[in-house]
Amino acid sequence: MWFNLEVAVEAVDLSKRFGAITALEHLDLNVEETEIFGLIGPNGAGKTTALRIVSTLLLPSSGYVKVFGMDVVREASEVRKILTYLPEEAGAYPNLSGWEYLEFMARFTSKSKEETQRIVKEAAEICGLGERLRSKAKTYSKGMKRRLLVARALMTKPKLAILDEPTSGLDVLHSYHVREIIKRYVKEHNVTVLLSSHNMLEVEHLCNRVALVNKGKIVAMGKPQELQEKFSSANLEEVFAKVVGFA
Amino acid sequence: MLKGFGNFLLKELKELLRDPKIFLGMIIVPLIMFPVLGAVMSFSVQSAQESAVKTTVLVVNHDSGESSTQFIAFLNSSLRVFVVNVSTIEDAVVLLPDYNASEIIEIPSIFSQNVTAGMAVQVGFFSVFSGTGLFEGVGSSIVDTFVSQFNRYVAPDIVVQEKSAIIKGKIVEGVDPQTLSSLMISQAIAMPITLMILLSYSMQIAATSVAMEKEEKTLETLLTLPMDRFAILMGKLSGSIIIAGVGAVAYMIGFNYYLGSFSSLVPAGTTYDLVSLGLVPSLLGYLLLGISLFVALLSALAIAVIISSFAEDVRSAQSVVGYIYPLIFIPSLVLMYIDVNTLPLAIQILIYAIPYSHPIIASKAVIMGDYLTAVLGIIYVSAFTLVVMYAASRLFATEKILTAKLKFRGLRRSRKPSDTELQ
Repeated sequence: MWFNLEVAVEAVDLSKRFGAITALEHLDLNVEETEIFGLIGPNGAGKTTALRIVSTLLLPSSGYVKVFGMDVVREASEVRKILTYLPEEAGAYPNLSGWEYLEFMARFTSKSKEETQRIVKEAAEICGLGERLRSKAKTYSKGMKRRLLVARALMTKPKLAILDEPTSGLDVLHSYHVREIIKRYVKEHNVTVLLSSHNMLEVEHLCNRVALVNKGKIVAMGKPQELQEKFSSANLEEVFAKVVGFA
Repeated sequence: MLKGFGNFLLKELKELLRDPKIFLGMIIVPLIMFPVLGAVMSFSVQSAQESAVKTTVLVVNHDSGESSTQFIAFLNSSLRVFVVNVSTIEDAVVLLPDYNASEIIEIPSIFSQNVTAGMAVQVGFFSVFSGTGLFEGVGSSIVDTFVSQFNRYVAPDIVVQEKSAIIKGKIVEGVDPQTLSSLMISQAIAMPITLMILLSYSMQIAATSVAMEKEEKTLETLLTLPMDRFAILMGKLSGSIIIAGVGAVAYMIGFNYYLGSFSSLVPAGTTYDLVSLGLVPSLLGYLLLGISLFVALLSALAIAVIISSFAEDVRSAQSVVGYIYPLIFIPSLVLMYIDVNTLPLAIQILIYAIPYSHPIIASKAVIMGDYLTAVLGIIYVSAFTLVVMYAASRLFATEKILTAKLKFRGLRRSRKPSDTELQ
């Protein structure tokens, strides 16, 4: 049934310049519905800029991006109704409890108190923070905060979840937990995920397809396995090194 | 000597002094602000002295004897005295603007007779009360001084003043304008102080609130939510207004006790009903004052939000907002001491151009029933607020809210993205 799937994200000839600096250059990208698509590359490659444009935060300098057929510039408010964005190193409001934070976020999409509570309970289950959700967010460890924020990004079952470095700064166990959450949620609720990471090994296990980004350009794109075979590499790290001429 | 102290201190000083926000906020701004405040104080005292020297007194002389002529000549030696030919004080009050005078002395027909007989004589002393500043009673006190001097030459307590105030063109007998000024001192101080506290508190709150969103990295999430971005701006402004309002009320309750100390300036047993004297704003006056304060507050907060959007963290936002404070403090202090109309035209224009002057000007105007001044101020500040609000809403509607940064070298906005933006 894959041929019936919609294009979740379509980026065509996308460029972004900040003054004299070019952050993205002629980027073309297609993310299909219900897939987990990873943008991978080193720090400063342009991954966050690309995600910020898709999530309506930044305007493209040229080219366009459509999310489920809607232009992110002209139809930004409509696009915001169907996506959630988890920024890298995002925080929660320190003086709100985790529960209050989730309620605050849920109210933007829910239509009733009952629905808000249902969404928050769902989030509580996703993050697994239990009673700690009643504590103020400033008392949370980095891992707890990240789990809370991942749950926030997924709890409303968005059509597209954009996750910027979802396991950034987390230890092995917390990273594993967050990856499992994403995998499970995509499978259960048909959510499309566009994520970024500079951890290529992690992406290998999580993503259906990946785009390797370097200096604002996509240098390779495909399924992790296919890329490894194409470049005769043992993993994506090696693929990347070969593609950028580092190895 | 503590081991490593010198090295560490040197590092601290370099670190702090090279932070442009600290350098500007802690060193440059005080270097500018305090001399300006000093100049204001000096100007206030100077203008008070000048106004004392220039005190113009109208004399209504009902006496035709020699003593009254001597008394007038004595006053005329140091003051500008005009003897007016009117039969009643009410007629003299009408003439006050023509002579640019604010004091009237009424010499009774028995003046010379009593002075010659060595008997005390009461002269009527009428002084205009305009509620314009702390130095308002200077003219009145200078007349007091000359009457005392006259008594020293002639006989102790020979001339006794019966003081009355002229409030809003009407004579209120038995009310000493100087005592009234002392009573009104709390109002003269309260409004500027409240405004300074309210605006600076709320600007700090608004700036902190916006910078917190950036520092805690919650702003990006917020901007991708299905909500109107103007609602974010209004939420920030309203939250700051409410919290600052509560803070201002708490502050004023405490400050009220402090103002109680000024009651020592009022002679014991003196009580005036300010309501019956018409020296309390009417309902319309309070309404205009509230609107004036609200629009000034809104514009200050919108400016704080805009400025703090360029800061990357809370500390920077608070420092940057501090640069606005002279615009609040200087007019507040100026208007606390001086009647704006007595200032040179260029300074008057400057004071009127600063939106935060208008609630203070309005507070004095509405007490004196001058609603037009309050309304014009509201119109001006509202127009200013609309422009600032529009700029703030544009800022929130675009990516500038995320990418704008203040480049302190030359205070120009930098468009260079950070590493995180380029990732």
